Amino acid sequence: MTMTRFDCMTLLAEKLSDELVIVSLGASVDEWYNAAPHMREASLFQQQLGCVTPQAFGLATGLPHRRIISLDTDGGMLFNLGILATVANERPRNLFTVVWDNECYQSIGGPPTHTAKGIVSIAAIARGAGIEHAYTATTVEEFDKHCVAGLAADEPYVLVAKVSSAVQPGIRRKHSDGREDKYIFVRHVEATEEITIMGPSEHN
Amino acid sequence: MDSSTVAAVIRGLKRAGVSTVCYLPDSLFKELYPALDADPDIRTIQVTNEGEGAAICGGIFLSGKRAALIMENSGLRASVEPLARMGLGAGIPVIMLMSYRGELGENNWWAVPHGITMEPILDALRIPYRIVREVDSVERAITDAFDWSYAAYHHSAVALGGGLVR
Repeated sequence: MTMTRFDCMTLLAEKLSDELVIVSLGASVDEWYNAAPHMREASLFQQQLGCVTPQAFGLATGLPHRRIISLDTDGGMLFNLGILATVANERPRNLFTVVWDNECYQSIGGPPTHTAKGIVSIAAIARGAGIEHAYTATTVEEFDKHCVAGLAADEPYVLVAKVSSAVQPGIRRKHSDGREDKYIFVRHVEATEEITIMGPSEHN
Repeated sequence: MDSSTVAAVIRGLKRAGVSTVCYLPDSLFKELYPALDADPDIRTIQVTNEGEGAAICGGIFLSGKRAALIMENSGLRASVEPLARMGLGAGIPVIMLMSYRGELGENNWWAVPHGITMEPILDALRIPYRIVREVDSVERAITDAFDWSYAAYHHSAVALGGGLVR
């Protein structure tokens, strides 16, 4: 593949302002941290294999008026394919799922995932589950077009981006842990939604 | 479950502020699911496995809404991975209501591992829990679990056993 994840992220980030993002794991964490600096507080960095799209769907359920973006991976989605069936049945109108499919478990050195043989298609699995708008992009032009459509859709939209396994060189590492990242994200949701999620103790 | 237990569970969930429940159906709670589905104040989301349900509940927590994961206690084993990552790694709480399959009195061989593994898994994940066998204790157990989880930002569980579910 010639399309890089970082180029795709840069394209997607340009389109975002008020959305909330659940971020996948591995090298994509640092890449998103750099590609979307204006979305850092609005992005939940958690490194949770198999939890990314389910968490994004839960967030979309709780905030139906707000666009939620799941940045999942081939390994993460294959870990819990059932979420595609649940999303298909529940039909959230505000959930846009991007799957970075680099056909390998990149963070542990690159052994292949099931998509590497060219047989398994996550987009086809999603369509089979009942998500009509599920596509595979192999060029940045296709990726860009589907981002525009996915961010405007009023039904679930899944975009599988076939990206190279190259990690963007020279980027700054994010060095906070998942607990700190959760507080940053929750305080952002609280501020922008004018709600309290992790409130004060009662002192009684 | 008799109707008074079903009603107590729903009262407890509402008193705790729950607006969404995720569930994978089991036989011991079979009377509870249609009652939840029919309740206009609670959205139900049926999931394909309990780990997925745990992660969805975690996402709902991040939205400021309250969710509960309802399942047979065998679902705890399916949920260990997301529970460990969310609870021990980040402090994103999931509150669980489980049927206690496999406790003394169980007469199905396939349910024995559910009873034997439930408490050690909860202990391994540092999840406090209460086993309830009296209908009068159900509502308070649910609200106590929510109070604790929203103070500790960690998971908690209520298991309904004994005559409540069999």
